[in-house]
Amino acid sequence: MLALQLAVTGLQTGALYALTAVGFSLIFGSTRIFHFAHGATFAIAAYFFYFVFQAGFGTVPAILGASAGAIAFGLLIYWLVYVPVQRHEGSFFTVFVASFGVGIAVQNLLGMVFGRGFVTVNTSLSRSSEILPGLYVAPLAWVAIACAIVFLGALHLFLRHTHTGMALRALSDNPELVRIFGLSPQRISAIVFVIGSVLVVPAAIITSATTGLNPAIGHHVMLISLAASIVGGIGSVYGTLLAGLILGLAESMALLFVASQWTEAVTFAILFAFILIRPSGLLGRATAH
Amino acid sequence: MTSTTIAHGEPLLQVRNLDKSFGGMKAVDDVTLDLRAGIVTTLVGPNGAGKTTLFNLITGNLARDSGEVEWLGQDIAGGKPHLIARRGIMRTYQDLRLFDSMSVWDNIMSATEYGLLPMPMSSAARHRRKERIEEVLERTGLSDKRDTRALDLAYAERKFLSMARIMATEARLWLLDEPASGLDPNSYERFLKILRDDREAGTTICIIEHNLDIVIGISDRIAFLDRGRLLADAEPDTVLNDPELAKIYFGDQS
Amino acid sequence: MEAYIFNLLNLIAIYGILAVSLNFIIGYAGIYSLAHAVFFGLGAYTSAWVGLNVTPSTFVTIPAAMLVAAIVSLVLALPALRVRGEYFVAASLGLQVIAVTVFSEWKSFTGGIGGVLAIPPVNLFGAEIYQPREFAIVSVIALLIVIAITLALVRSSFGRNLRAIRDSESAAASFGKNVPLIKTVAVVISAALAAVAGALYASFISFINVESFMLDTSVLLMAMVIIGGTGTFLGPLVGAALLLILPSAISYLSFLPQTEIGALQQIIYGLGMTLLMIFRPGGIVGRRSGT
Ligand SMILES: Nc1ncnc2c1ncn2[C@@H]1O[C@H](COP(=O)(O)OP(=O)(O)O)[C@@H](O)[C@H]1O
Ligand SMILES: [Mg+2]
Repeated sequence: MLALQLAVTGLQTGALYALTAVGFSLIFGSTRIFHFAHGATFAIAAYFFYFVFQAGFGTVPAILGASAGAIAFGLLIYWLVYVPVQRHEGSFFTVFVASFGVGIAVQNLLGMVFGRGFVTVNTSLSRSSEILPGLYVAPLAWVAIACAIVFLGALHLFLRHTHTGMALRALSDNPELVRIFGLSPQRISAIVFVIGSVLVVPAAIITSATTGLNPAIGHHVMLISLAASIVGGIGSVYGTLLAGLILGLAESMALLFVASQWTEAVTFAILFAFILIRPSGLLGRATAH
Repeated sequence: MTSTTIAHGEPLLQVRNLDKSFGGMKAVDDVTLDLRAGIVTTLVGPNGAGKTTLFNLITGNLARDSGEVEWLGQDIAGGKPHLIARRGIMRTYQDLRLFDSMSVWDNIMSATEYGLLPMPMSSAARHRRKERIEEVLERTGLSDKRDTRALDLAYAERKFLSMARIMATEARLWLLDEPASGLDPNSYERFLKILRDDREAGTTICIIEHNLDIVIGISDRIAFLDRGRLLADAEPDTVLNDPELAKIYFGDQS
Repeated sequence: MEAYIFNLLNLIAIYGILAVSLNFIIGYAGIYSLAHAVFFGLGAYTSAWVGLNVTPSTFVTIPAAMLVAAIVSLVLALPALRVRGEYFVAASLGLQVIAVTVFSEWKSFTGGIGGVLAIPPVNLFGAEIYQPREFAIVSVIALLIVIAITLALVRSSFGRNLRAIRDSESAAASFGKNVPLIKTVAVVISAALAAVAGALYASFISFINVESFMLDTSVLLMAMVIIGGTGTFLGPLVGAALLLILPSAISYLSFLPQTEIGALQQIIYGLGMTLLMIFRPGGIVGRRSGT
C-alpha cells in the first residue's frame, strides 16, 4: 500500500513538475532564451496567491493575482532584460547570467517582503482523506492532475491548431518565417513568455497549498525544470512533459529505498545518467557533434 | 611523427572500400582512393557529393561504417582525431573553425603545439619556431595582422589564417576543404603560390574544390566524387576528356 | 577595527583564491560551473579532518585537501567532456545539490549540520598562526601563489590549448590536442586550487559547517568572476573584493535591520550581474563587448 500511496503522491508531484518544466521548455525551445528566472516566476505566482488569499479576498481573486504577477514578470523580464541583452550579444552565457541575476534579486526581495520562513496556505482541499484502506489522498492531488491535463491539453490544441501556435512552432527553426504569419518574432516571443509564465501558475498555487513555500523555492523549481527539459530532450515540449512526470514519480517512489533528504539526489542521478548516456534526451533530436 | 620515407608518387594514404551512410543515405559509398606522396590531388564533385564526409572519415571526425584507411601501411581507421593528426595528417574546415577569440599569432602558435604541459624548448628551437611562424605570416599576407583577433579579420584573411595554421605544422598530408572558395583573384594567386611552394617542399596535398577551373593548373590528379561514389581518379586530362563526367560536372555548373 | 580590517583582508584573499580558480575554467575553458563551493567545502572538511586526526601541519593538510578535491572533481569533468552550455550548467547544479546533501548527512566526516568544531589553526613548522594579522600574511601569500600558478598556466601553451578548445573543439583536436585530457586537467587544477581556499578557511575560522558550501556560495563566486570580468587577470580579484566589502558598506549606510543585509547584498549583486550583461558583458575589468 505504501507503494501505491507513493505512486499517487508522485503523480501529483509529477503533474506539477510537468506544468512548470513545459513552460521553461517552451520558452527555451522556441526563443532560445535560457530563462533561468523561470523559478522566480513560480515564486512570484505562489507568493502573490498567498498574499491575496491570506488578506481574505478569497480564492478567485488570489488566483487572478497570481496569474497577473506571473504574466507581468514574464513580460517585463522579456522586454527589459532579454531584448536588450540579445540586441548586442545574446550568447548562451550572457542570457543565462542576466536571467540568473534577476532570479537572485527576486528571491531576496520576496524574502524581505514575506519573510524567509516556510509558509503554507491552508485550504479545505489540502486535507487528506483515506480513500482506500491505508491510502490517503488530498483532493488537491486530483486538482493537480486535472490542471495538468487541462492546461497541457489546451497548450497542445493551441500549438497544433491555431494560427499563432503554428507561428510559434516556426520561431525556433526560422525567426523570419513567422513574418509569413503576419507576426513579428518579438511579438511571438512575448506571447511565448506569457504562455510559459501562465503554465507555472497552477503549479505554484497548488504547491503553496500542499508542500508550502519559501523564497528559495525558485531554485528547486529551476532545477526540476532544467532536469526535465534535458531528460525530455531540449526543445521537445512533449518530452519535457513526460520527463516531468517521470521525475515526480521517481522522486516519490525513491522513498521506498532512501530517506527523504536524498530524493533530490535521485532526480540528479537520473539527469546525470541522461547527460552521460543520452544527451539528446527521451524525445530530443540527436545532435551531431 | 613518423618519418618513413615514401618515394614521390607512391601512395601515402590509402582509402579502401570506405562506406558511410546517414540514416539510409549513402554519403560515402565504397570509395577506394590513394593519396600519393608529394602531389596535389583535387577532389571535385557537386555539393553534397560526400567530399567533406570523406575527409571526416579519414581524420576520425566521423566513424566509418566499413572500409579501411591506411597511412604508411598502418590501419588508422577508427582512430581518435587528435591521434590521427599527430601522425601528420592535418586538415582545414570548410567553415574554417578558427580560434576566434585568439590573435592571429596565437592561432598559428597553438596549431603547432599539442603537449599537455609546456614543452621545454631550447632557445634555438624557440627561435626556429618563431622564424617559421614569421615566414608563414609573410606567405599568407598576415604579417600586419598578427595581433588581431581572428574574429575581427576580413573574409579572405580568415581563409588565409586557416591555411596559415596548417602551414606552420609539420604535417605531411594536408586535407584542405574548399580553401579557395570565395577568394578574389589576387588572393587566389597568393593561394596557388602557397600550394606550389609547399608541394615543392614535399607536402602531399588533397584539396576539395567545387570549381575545377580554379585548381586545374595545379592538380596532378583529379578524383571525382558524385553521390558518395568515386567516379574517377586519374590525370586531369583523362578526367576532363571523359564525356560522362563532363556531363555531371557541367550539368552541376549550369 | 584593526582586527576587522584583517579579517576582511583574509576573507578577500580566501575568496580571491576561489574566484581566480573558478575564472580559470569559466574564463579560459568555457566551463560554467555552479559547483565551485563543493570543492571549497571538500578542501575545508578534508583539511579539518586531517588536522584533527592526523597532523595539524599545514604542509600535510593543504596537499591532502587538494588531493581529495582533485579526485572528486573527476565527477564534474565527466559531464564537462560530454556536453556544454545549458547541459553542463544543469549537471554542475546537480552536483552542488547532491554535495550539500552529502555534507549534511555524512556525520563522521563533516559533523553533519552541526559541522566541525575546534579545527587547528595554520601550523607552519610547529608555529601556530591564528591572529588575523599574521594569518593575513599566510593568506595573501597563498593568493599570490595561486595567481602566479594560474597566470603561468594561462600564458603557456596550456592556456592556448584551453582557449583553442573553447573556440572550436573539433579544430583543436585536428591539430593534435587531446581535448578530453586537457579539459579534465583544467577542472582538476581548478578544484585543487579551490581546496586550498577551503583549507585556509577552515583553519582560520576554526569552525565549519555546510552553510558555507551551499549553492549560495557557488552563486556568489560566479557573481564575483562575472562582475569582475571573466577571462581577465584582475577581474576575479576586483569582483571578490567588491562583493565582500559590499555587506559592510551596506551596513554603514543603511537604516536596515542587520538581518536584511545579506538579502540586500544579494539583490545588489543579482541586479548588478543583470545590468552588466545588458551594458557591459565583459565585466568591470573586461573589454567592453564581445564584438
Ligand atoms: N553529420 C552528418 N549527419 C547527417 N548527414 C550528413 C552529415 N554530414 C554530411 N551529411 C550529409 O551527407 C551528404 C554529403 O555531405 P558532404 O560530405 O558535406 O558533401 P560535400 O562536402 O561534398 O558538399 C549531404 O547530403 C549531407 O547532408
Ligand atoms: Mg563540403
